Amino acid sequence: MTLLADKDERFKNLFGKAALFILLAVLGLGLVFLWTGIKKGAFTPKSPIYFVADSGQDLSEGMPVKFSGFKIGKLNTLTLDEQGHVQVEVAIETKYLSLIRQDAVMSLKKEGVIGDGVLDVSRGTEGKPVLVAGDKVRFERASGLEQAVLEVKNRIMPILDDLQHTLHDPDGDVRQTLKNLREFSGEMRGTRERLDRVLGSVDTNLNNEVGPLLRSLRQSAAKIDQDMPVLLKKVDSSMESLRLTSEAIKDAVQHSAPQLPGMLGEARETLGKTREMVGTTQEVVDSLSTSWPLKNVVPPPETGPVRMDSHD
Amino acid sequence: MIRCYLLLSLFLVACGSAPPPRLPQALEQANAAEKDARRALKGGELLRAQHGFAKTLALRQALDDTAGVATTLINLATVIHQLHEDEAALIWLDKILLEKVRIYAPEFHLTAAFRKAVILTNLARLDEAESTLQLAEKICEKKCTTRFGIDALRARLLLLKGDAEGALALAQALSKEALAGKEEQANALRVVAAAEEKLARLASALLHYQAVLEMDKSLALGTRIGEDLNGMARVSKLLGHEDESAMYARRAALVSEGLSRK
Repeated sequence: MTLLADKDERFKNLFGKAALFILLAVLGLGLVFLWTGIKKGAFTPKSPIYFVADSGQDLSEGMPVKFSGFKIGKLNTLTLDEQGHVQVEVAIETKYLSLIRQDAVMSLKKEGVIGDGVLDVSRGTEGKPVLVAGDKVRFERASGLEQAVLEVKNRIMPILDDLQHTLHDPDGDVRQTLKNLREFSGEMRGTRERLDRVLGSVDTNLNNEVGPLLRSLRQSAAKIDQDMPVLLKKVDSSMESLRLTSEAIKDAVQHSAPQLPGMLGEARETLGKTREMVGTTQEVVDSLSTSWPLKNVVPPPETGPVRMDSHD
Repeated sequence: MIRCYLLLSLFLVACGSAPPPRLPQALEQANAAEKDARRALKGGELLRAQHGFAKTLALRQALDDTAGVATTLINLATVIHQLHEDEAALIWLDKILLEKVRIYAPEFHLTAAFRKAVILTNLARLDEAESTLQLAEKICEKKCTTRFGIDALRARLLLLKGDAEGALALAQALSKEALAGKEEQANALRVVAAAEEKLARLASALLHYQAVLEMDKSLALGTRIGEDLNGMARVSKLLGHEDESAMYARRAALVSEGLSRK
């Protein structure tokens, strides 16, 4: 039995047409879900990996797990065990497990300075066995901006305390230096006053003594200016005389030069003869002094030690 | 006939006065160098004398003339002492005294020991001088010609060591010894005067200084004349004769000036 009389030709097989339409819609919707699931990795096989954290702070389900900057998984569950530790399970795509070694470290980092938290897994040591589903890895929190600020604070604060102490210590170097500087500046004022007086005195002396001296120098320079041409003339004439004399000497030397070798030869010959004559004379004198009658007059040569007495 | 006599007498003269034959060349050279050195020493050219004796020494050593070497070593030491290089002079004398094999005759040991003692006394190294003088005395045994010099030095040493009485006795005996020679007699008399000065016998000391001054003048020994005049100046001052003292001091200064100019 039909509710409406199918008299209009357009309503013929209306049920079938509606059912087909709905079926196509459902099919399309299913395809969209399937496509989205594939894109989101819902069908990619994943392996569970575990780690233990001291606290669940900054950890949240769905947090991405990255390897060399690529997302390879996400944080699955966070549970608190009996000891109060946080048991964490992450799901990592099985195909990437072969890249990670068993001593790999899971670090909690921030993306950028103030970005979201991510879990970054390191590669581990080459040569160690690869990670398999169900393995445990070590966990650590990378030092973020807060920790860095904390470290800086811990280092700077003692320095600031020391500085404050140094600045406020009445017997400290800074206070003493400042005190010395103050005293020095006070003394400098006195020195400056004395210097002013000295400069004033110098100024007076310059006006009284250097002025006349300069005038005298000017007069001397004028006198030298006046006398100089005469002196220069005399020097010129002396130089001319000297030149003429040296020329005369040069002529004389050139004139006598050819005769010099002959003169030297003669002088050498004369010297030789003289030496020979002196030698002969010495021999004759020696002979005569040992011959009669001179040997009785000439004292015999001394032979023993020379004289020296007890008071020499 | 007369011509024959003349020729005969000339021949006899020529034979009687023939010069001695020439010695070997090295010996002639050594003799000539020594002669030159002695002439330089007499003329007061001490550096030339030192050079001459050094040359003589080398030549005598080359000829293995030990007596000549010893004489030259003593002469060289004496000249160097006169040049006031006493340490070097002592080294030259020790070349004779410290010779392990006794190649030099005892008389050279005696002369070297006596001269070393004189130099050590001048340097005021009295203990060393004493022991060296004892060595000289031991070799001499009161028989050698140097014995008067040794006694004079002994007296001088006694005086320097403070035994004025002992020095006076020894020097007085020596000053009367005619064989001692004028130099050593004068030296002894100087010791007498100095000892008396020390014993405060001033009048006698002055007389002895005057006597020794006359002797030194006759010997023309400038340094000692100055020494005598200084002694007279000291004694005159002690006697209270200020004018005489100043006059003697002035004369001593003139002598000293003359010596330094020489």
